[in-house]
Parts: sequence; structure tokens; C-alpha cells
Amino acid sequence: MKKSEGLAGGDIVIHEVSSLTAAAHELKSPLALVRQLALQLESSEVTDEQRRLVQQITLTSERALRLTSDLTRSARLDDALFELEPLNPEQLCKDIVAELTPLFEAHGRSLAVTHRTHPLLLVANRDLLRRIIMNFSDNALYYSQPGTAVHMQIQALKKSGTVRVGIRDYGPALSADMWRKLQKKLTHSPQSVHARPQSSGLGLFIASQFAEAMQGTIGATRHRDGATFYVELQASRQLSLL
Amino acid sequence: MTRVLLVEDDPWLAELEAGLLKKAGYEVTLSPHAPSAIIAIDEIKPDVIVLDVLLTGGTAFALLHELQSYGDTGTVPIILCTNMAESLRLEDLQAYGVRRIVDKTTMQLDDLPAAVRGVLL
Repeated sequence: MKKSEGLAGGDIVIHEVSSLTAAAHELKSPLALVRQLALQLESSEVTDEQRRLVQQITLTSERALRLTSDLTRSARLDDALFELEPLNPEQLCKDIVAELTPLFEAHGRSLAVTHRTHPLLLVANRDLLRRIIMNFSDNALYYSQPGTAVHMQIQALKKSGTVRVGIRDYGPALSADMWRKLQKKLTHSPQSVHARPQSSGLGLFIASQFAEAMQGTIGATRHRDGATFYVELQASRQLSLL
Repeated sequence: MTRVLLVEDDPWLAELEAGLLKKAGYEVTLSPHAPSAIIAIDEIKPDVIVLDVLLTGGTAFALLHELQSYGDTGTVPIILCTNMAESLRLEDLQAYGVRRIVDKTTMQLDDLPAAVRGVLL
């Protein structure tokens, strides 16, 4: 179980996070069954419209499974040692794009990685970074406008010696009030962060826990026409040593 | 015909997985929990066991210990088919006869028959 720092009423929050984790475990079985049944139906003879609906069931159950998996993973952060290694975030982003493209296409959106001529390396745990980017991408999918593209952008922040992986969407702007709440509470609570309308902020809370486990941070940039949610991690010096 | 013992306590998932294995040409026997699995192992002498981890009334690990304690069952290849795959490491379980771990949350329809084929090679 992961306890957040700086929380008032820590016991209550621990209990809530523990309950969430237990609930996530319990939800995995029925969700996995729904997915398997949908896959089975998809493989049988169905009309195009039925196939489209069944694919939506499959993709939705996969999204829910990712969240339950992230929750159970976050509960084990305290007990685990994480191997940090130099990673090329662009390659990881490309892998995620390949995995999520069916989901984005089903929602009438697209997902792409902005290519860098000179690749950057950062220091991260591959599994945790993948989960953070998947989480931000899921977030972007549901708050971007239909027909728009979500972009993964990677940039070096030389002053802080970090690399930022950002997920830029084109959707409704965050209100100033919402923005203040987000900045203040981004890493502090699974319940009270309303990152965006109709969002519990749970996914962002989990992402912040994963980033913290890698000595990184997450944050968000507000745009007139959407937002960028990003994770910043230590840059690897491996390339500069070559 | 290759005999597969499928130990799965969710009846709908058991039916689905059994259907996939039968379609792939295997003879499938279902057990909903560990005690019935032990009886089935004695009766049918399975070539492969597909085992869920969190079972009603216990976990698969008690069954794995039991199987390893007998000479005739200790060599039956076991495939764990579980929602807990991300918490398990094959290296830790190979001593118990586990040859594959299939993740229920991400598996495709042909993954289980492919795993059975794989352990029989």
C-alpha cells in the first residue's frame, strides 16, 4: 500500500487507498471475463454494426483493466525495487501508439509521436513510465475533440537536466479555478483532484505515484484549446559520454 | 487425444476456455477448485494442467505443492492462467512444474491453446 506524503488524516487515506486496491483486484476477474466474452463474440459471425459495438466493449474493458492494473501496481510501490535504466522515450511512445491506435480510431481520434531528429534518453523504469504515458493518453482520448490528433512530445529541459514527455490534446480548456486545484493537489489525493470535469483524478494520482517512485514529477500545461499532461524524469548522460 | 485439466472457478470463463481448447483438438476436463482437481488428476491423468491462481476455497499454490509431493504428478506441465500474472515470475514457479503464465487480462483467444501446444513440444 502506498501512502502519500503531506496528507492530513493519513489513516483514513491509507484505508481508502487500500480499499481501492482491494476493489481493483476484485474488479479484474469480471472485467477480464467481459473482455474474453467480447473477443469470443467478435470472432463469430456478426454484422458490421454488431462488430463495431463488440469492439467498443473490448476496448472499454481493456481500458478499465489498465486502470485496475495500475491501482494494484501502485499498491506495491513501497515493497518493490525498481530497475531504472536509460530509455529512449520516443521508442516507448511509438510502442504505445501502436497499442492504443485501435482505441483512438474507434473514438474517431488519432495518436502520434512527434519525431525528434536527435533522440533523447531518460532514466526510468520501463513499466512505470509506460503506465504513466498510457494513463495520460487515456486521459487525452476522453477530453480531446473528435477528429483531432493527440501528440506525444519529447523535449530536453537542460536547466533541470530532465527530459519531459508530454501528451498534448486538443479539447476543452481547463478553467482557471480547475487549474489552481490541479496545480495544488496534483500529487496529494486520489479523491479531491478533479483534473477535468467528470474525472476523479484517480489516474493522475496513480501517475504521480509512479513518477515519484522514479524520482520524477508530473504536471500539466494549460492551453487555450486543450492541455498537455507531462512527466519529467532525469535525463540519461549515456549519450553524452559516447 | 491430449488430455487437459482446466481448473477454473468462474463457470462462464471455464466454459469459454474449455470451448477454445476443445476447438483446438484437446480433451478437456473441468474442475472448479483444488480438491476436485486432485480427484480429476487421479482419474484422467492429464497431460497438461491449466490452473487459475485465485480459486474458491484456496489458491493454486497449495495444489502445486500437493502435485510436487507425488512422483507421478510432479512432472505434469502446468500453465497458470491468471489475473495476477504481473505479480508472478515464471523463474520462481518453475520448480513447481509451472511452464507458462498466461495473463487473463490481456490474453487473446488463441493464447491458451498456443500455451498448451508450447508446453507439449
